[in-house]
Amino acid sequence: MRKLLGLLRFALVGVGIGIIGYGLTLSVIGSQGRWLLCLGSGGFLIALGLWPTAHPDEAEESRPTVNVFAAIVFIFGLLALQMARMQIFSSKSLAERTGIDPFSGDVLSNPRAVNGALLIKRGTIFDRNGVVLAESAKRRGIFDRRYPNPNASYVCGYFSPLKYGTTGIEEAYDDQLSGRELVNPIQDEVDKLLGRTPEGADIRLTINADLQETAHRMLGDSIGAVVLIEVATGAIRALASNPHLDPNKLVAIDLDSATAATAYWAQLNSDPQQPLLVRATDGLYTPGSTFKTVTASAAIDSGTAGPTDVFIDNGQLDVDGHIIVEENRPDDSIDQWTLSEGLAFSLNVVFARVGLELGPDRLRIYAERFGFGEPIPFDVPVVTGQISASPDFLQNPAALADTSFGQGELLTSPIGMALVAATLANGGTMMRPYLVEAVIDRDGMEIETTEPRLLRNVVDAATANTMQEMMVNAVESGYATNAAIDGLRVGGKTGTAETGSDMPHSWFIGFAGEKEPEYAVAVVFEFGGISSQGPIATARQILLEAISAD
Amino acid sequence: MNRQPGAIVRRAELRLVLIAVIFAIVGAWTVSITTPKEIAIHWPDLRQTAALSGLVLFATLFWSLTRFSGDEILLPIVSVLAFVGFIVLVRLQPDLTRLDDRLVGLDSRQAIYISAGIVLMVGIGRFFNYWHLLKRYRYTMLLMCIGLLLVTFFFGTPIGGAKLWISVGPIQIQPSEIIKIGLVLFLASYLEEHRGLIGSTWKVGPLRLPPIPYLLPMALMWGTSLVILVVENDLGSALLLFSIFLVMVYVGTGRSYYVLLGLGSFAIACMAALSQFARIGIRVQNWLDPWRDPLDTGYQQIQSDFAISSGGILGVGLNNGQPWRIPALQTDFIFSAIAEELGLLGTLALLALFGLLVARGFSIALSTSDPYLRLVAIGLSASLGVQTAVILGGVLRLIPLTGITLPFVSYGGSSMLTNFVIAGLLANISAQRRRGRIQ
Repeated sequence: MRKLLGLLRFALVGVGIGIIGYGLTLSVIGSQGRWLLCLGSGGFLIALGLWPTAHPDEAEESRPTVNVFAAIVFIFGLLALQMARMQIFSSKSLAERTGIDPFSGDVLSNPRAVNGALLIKRGTIFDRNGVVLAESAKRRGIFDRRYPNPNASYVCGYFSPLKYGTTGIEEAYDDQLSGRELVNPIQDEVDKLLGRTPEGADIRLTINADLQETAHRMLGDSIGAVVLIEVATGAIRALASNPHLDPNKLVAIDLDSATAATAYWAQLNSDPQQPLLVRATDGLYTPGSTFKTVTASAAIDSGTAGPTDVFIDNGQLDVDGHIIVEENRPDDSIDQWTLSEGLAFSLNVVFARVGLELGPDRLRIYAERFGFGEPIPFDVPVVTGQISASPDFLQNPAALADTSFGQGELLTSPIGMALVAATLANGGTMMRPYLVEAVIDRDGMEIETTEPRLLRNVVDAATANTMQEMMVNAVESGYATNAAIDGLRVGGKTGTAETGSDMPHSWFIGFAGEKEPEYAVAVVFEFGGISSQGPIATARQILLEAISAD
Repeated sequence: MNRQPGAIVRRAELRLVLIAVIFAIVGAWTVSITTPKEIAIHWPDLRQTAALSGLVLFATLFWSLTRFSGDEILLPIVSVLAFVGFIVLVRLQPDLTRLDDRLVGLDSRQAIYISAGIVLMVGIGRFFNYWHLLKRYRYTMLLMCIGLLLVTFFFGTPIGGAKLWISVGPIQIQPSEIIKIGLVLFLASYLEEHRGLIGSTWKVGPLRLPPIPYLLPMALMWGTSLVILVVENDLGSALLLFSIFLVMVYVGTGRSYYVLLGLGSFAIACMAALSQFARIGIRVQNWLDPWRDPLDTGYQQIQSDFAISSGGILGVGLNNGQPWRIPALQTDFIFSAIAEELGLLGTLALLALFGLLVARGFSIALSTSDPYLRLVAIGLSASLGVQTAVILGGVLRLIPLTGITLPFVSYGGSSMLTNFVIAGLLANISAQRRRGRIQ
């Protein structure tokens, strides 16, 4: 009888453990009721099986006391089981649970789980003179990212790990900034033991925050972009886009800032001016007349035409029935123009004739060498332009003629156009553009330093020198005279790109230096109108300040 | 009595208290060196910990010097519990200050409460000699308890949706803590007096009812608990007081029948209240699924779940977690902070300490010959056990969440002092083992 009772108790405990074990396998989501039922019934069976039996010596009156104590121990046992469930068996799914608020639609998730990125002291991003563009500071136990410079910080991209990811330098150099790249496993363990916060490396950009401010001052409210390149190295000194986002407003670190970020994101997306588009690198524009520098370079470099060769321009040109009307002649009584004058006065008919002489294949080869339709290697992604949408487009003489003076199906980015100017200013060799000057570890050591790298030889040095003279001529006696700077040698080319709408984009590309070109620039005002005076003034000012800053 | 001169040595207590002190100093030092650089090392906290440690050491020495013969385990256990709460509060203080200006200096205040509590415990344990008065004036005590309840009901300050507090000038008192002791003392005296009636029952038709002296207080208690539950929206206190009542009636009479009757009727009443009152329904909803309304009513519970589950087995370490994300952290949810930063090992150790404390209380009760004191000891120990279970069960979502404190650990003066008084009374009872019956 006693044996039987013992067996029964044993069985009760076994079944109880089984029920609770089954309960532990239940998902933590949506089965709270079933789990409580398992825990309650299983616990009850175990308690029945293990309940203390009366000891022979025990006074009968102390029996209730023993029962009460056993009940409390039983309840504590249930608490311990629940702790084990929450902290071992279901801890992962409980900690990683996310849900949507049925009333507001906002997402709630464990702030600890998602934001490993916010637990690291992310590296600081400086401009080349040590001005802070992005930095992390501890706030409420996690690292918040601040972008203190309103005109330059956005060049870093944005950092929004809880909401919208990362972009720009923040994304491209995430491994360095977050310290993942630097991790030496031993150092990592030592840091953990000492409770040191993981720290990322700092980054020094080639950007000059002062020039960035100049660019924005000159752009004002106009939509557009400014790209300034140091000619000899390819270092980007200014990379301005207007309008742009405020990266401070996207750094979501908690519920409040995430809500604000959501609202800001919606506002950015509905803004007709598209502030999310980083125009300097991601904006695609028809180059218009600035492309004439490419056509002229191709003609000179291939020996098709020289700067003093004369072309007929009597007001219009009929290419297979496609009439090109000349509106740019400074003097309508003159019918003969040199290539150099054609560039200075941006004569479309002259360049249509040059292009027809070059032929589709040579124009395409040179355009590709200047970076049209070619991916541009850079520290952040750059949109790839095009010579034409379809490969056969240039085979049509009318299309070839249009392309030669910058229309047709040509598309490029402001940085792509700045590279054209920089290549010509640099004796025909294209330097790889770069934005990151150095990566610096937390002891102040430069662990990566960017060396200027040659990307490719585009045209001969002689061709480039001729082109420089022609562009200087355009500033001295052509349509770009407002770009001239006393004491400096300035060359440039204006552009007005037909857009299909009433207002064309207005362009200026150019370079300046005391003797040799030091900086090259490209400026575009989106739908800026026929006059290139805005871009010219912007380019002049930023070239002037860049050179006097050195 | 033949008084011997000189002190006795409470060796076990001294050793255990030394361990508690080492624990406190190591804990405070850990918090101090792991505090982020931008907040300087907080010497006042270390000094406070040292002062509390000194006080606890002084307490055991004082008991030795005054030849106190009571239990030697109680003081070390409650010291460790109070130290755990204090160290976690010191660790949380910078976060609390940052989140809410009104939460400045909680750690210093808690240190004062603990000090006062230890002094109370030592004094009551050694010198309290008025059990006969407590026994005699039980109805006065009952009236005072009911009076306190009424005062809270009419003049209470609502905090967080529940009227649990009375403001007396700048001090806020939580009457349910005091009523807890009053109820135990009253019931012990009452049940001991009427123990002769245990066997007698009377019939109303087919029903066998308990004798009127039991029926009356049971009905009264049942009603009072429900009033607390419904009117003051305080499920925790209702559950706690009703549990104490059931435990004492059961131990006093030996009739499990009454317990089942009481539990059943309380459950039915709770069900009725649940269907009648929306705010109680919200509590139940948050218990079963806080994700129904994650940003509003369920927010606190979800944040607590996140904290507990993020702790894992070993915890993330003091000052490494983010427990400050839980609202009302310092009182109701201090356990979640401990769970996150000290892990399952920490929470199990804490639970074991509470288990040990309750076990010690029951052991004192069983070795006490006086039936009144035995009932008092059981009631007080059970109240500590039940209170721990109710708040932990709520935080761990085994039962709906209730707003009561974790004894000795949560922030709060009323709770801290009351629980130290309970510990002092238990220590006092343990020293009366060989005394005669209290008249």
